[in-house]
Amino acid sequence: MAMFPIASNVEGDMAIMVVMVDDEGTMDEVAKACAYHSVGRRVAPRPDKILRVRRSSTGEVYPRDMRLKEAGLLPTECVDLIFSDA
Amino acid sequence: MTSLKQDEYYDLIRGVNWTPKYVPEEEIFPEEMSGSRGIPMAQWEAFDEPYKVTYGDYVQTQREKDAGVYSVKAGLERANYVKTADPGWVSTLQAHYGALAVAEYAAATAEARMARFSKAPGNRVVATFGMLDEMRHGQLQLFFSHEHTRLSRQWDWAHKALYTNEWAAIAARHMFDDMMFTRDAISTAIMLTFAFETGFTNMQFLGLSADAAEAGDHTFSNLISSIQTDESRHAQQGGAILKVMVDNGKIDDAQHMIDVIFWRTWKLFSVLTGPIMDYYTPLEHRKQSFKEFMEEWIIGQFVRQLDDLGLKKPWYWDTFVADLDQAHHAIHVGVWFYRPTVWWNPAAGASPEERAWLEQKYPGWNTTFGRTWDVITDNIVRGRLNMTLPETLPLLCNMSNVPIVGTPGDKWNTKDYPLVYEGRLYHFGSPIDRWCFEQEPERYKGHMNFIDRVLAGLVQPPDMAGALAYMGLAPGEMGEDAHDYAWAAAYQRKAAE
Ligand SMILES: [Fe+2]
Ligand SMILES: [Fe+2]
Repeated sequence: MAMFPIASNVEGDMAIMVVMVDDEGTMDEVAKACAYHSVGRRVAPRPDKILRVRRSSTGEVYPRDMRLKEAGLLPTECVDLIFSDA
Repeated sequence: MTSLKQDEYYDLIRGVNWTPKYVPEEEIFPEEMSGSRGIPMAQWEAFDEPYKVTYGDYVQTQREKDAGVYSVKAGLERANYVKTADPGWVSTLQAHYGALAVAEYAAATAEARMARFSKAPGNRVVATFGMLDEMRHGQLQLFFSHEHTRLSRQWDWAHKALYTNEWAAIAARHMFDDMMFTRDAISTAIMLTFAFETGFTNMQFLGLSADAAEAGDHTFSNLISSIQTDESRHAQQGGAILKVMVDNGKIDDAQHMIDVIFWRTWKLFSVLTGPIMDYYTPLEHRKQSFKEFMEEWIIGQFVRQLDDLGLKKPWYWDTFVADLDQAHHAIHVGVWFYRPTVWWNPAAGASPEERAWLEQKYPGWNTTFGRTWDVITDNIVRGRLNMTLPETLPLLCNMSNVPIVGTPGDKWNTKDYPLVYEGRLYHFGSPIDRWCFEQEPERYKGHMNFIDRVLAGLVQPPDMAGALAYMGLAPGEMGEDAHDYAWAAAYQRKAAE
């Protein structure tokens, strides 16, 4: 594993957080690591929704079980975390 | 013998120039320092500004001004306003002094460059006064803040801030270095004295002076309005230089410089002045909202001055106007949330009364920025203070060096504007910050913002504790909530009911 820096832009937050995530982790794990720094701090929790990871530059929504290292993101590249139904 | 009246000789002496015989003109005025852009010496002699001060007048007036501000200070010293002032006002003073006092001193260098290298003789005369003005501003503000150092170490940041790697200090230094230390005389006249001083220092010093008078801080009010009288004089250099540029076919070049530095200045003032005016200054002493000050000083007066010179509003004007409802509110949340990383105690300004004022001045505030404060307030009410503090760093803009922010809540639009340049990924807070970079990548590409330094291993350990140490912030200097969360008491009572 390697810790990889991403820029986390959680839906509803006013800033983007730099978050270190394990590049072996799945997108659900990435979402959890990102939520930790925004949801419940500056963004209200939405227990009925799940957070999906979306590449900011292309709008591509990643599969939930995809590994971060397969996404080909640049270090510090920005992803949006979107509250979704599924 | 009768002496000539001043208006009979002034233009002649101010315009005295000489034709060098022993050294070529370009050796006396190297282009990289002078920036004359091919406009001949004779054209620069047309430089004219309205104040027409002689050295004798200057010295006498400055002496009187100094006597005035020092006597007000001495007279009110016993009353020690600062000791009993609202903590939000103390934070206002500390933020102002730390960001500006030493920068004023630096501005003396910028004025000195015009005084030596400008091809306009009149500019050289007025810049000599400007240089002395800026030394006065540096000295006054370092001296006036110094008496408070016995109250808390945060006051020491008036002197210390710009020598540290604190993030806001890096942002201020990057901007001031760009504008004051690394430009030729003509660019300096346009960027510093026209765009920055005519536009923004006017607002900071007159707007804040009005708030200070309302708050009863007559020492500070007097001090900064005295400073502003110097600023309004030496700021005239920019307009006079612009006129020569416009008359000699260099209008596009002039417009471009204004477009770059106006945006950079806006970003800095949205951090410094916005939170002060709309959140730190006690509600009952707020004269106008930050947006109203901006509308009066920038959208009203500055645009008129651009018009008079035949120049246009910067190309991104609509984005700038929209940003008046957004940038400083978002930065304020950030500064408050990251309060240990600043040298003052941010006032939340989010009590029910203050929120009502914000909603009135900025319709829609409650469902955007208010949503963020709802979550923060709820954590305070439930005693979860750890959830009101950061555990990681925010993404910073590689131009403004401040957090990349947007509107939260129902109108969420936070977005990164990236650029890969020579293999390095840069981040920007807006398309305009990115545009500034693209105008002159050679100038900006090597700089590392706080995040770049963390990722390069310069900040050890790479966590919040390491970051605070790298910023030079010790306990007693790191910011805390200015009112020790008293603003949340009304919500606490409501929750208890
Ligand atoms: Fe000044
Ligand atoms: Fe100045």
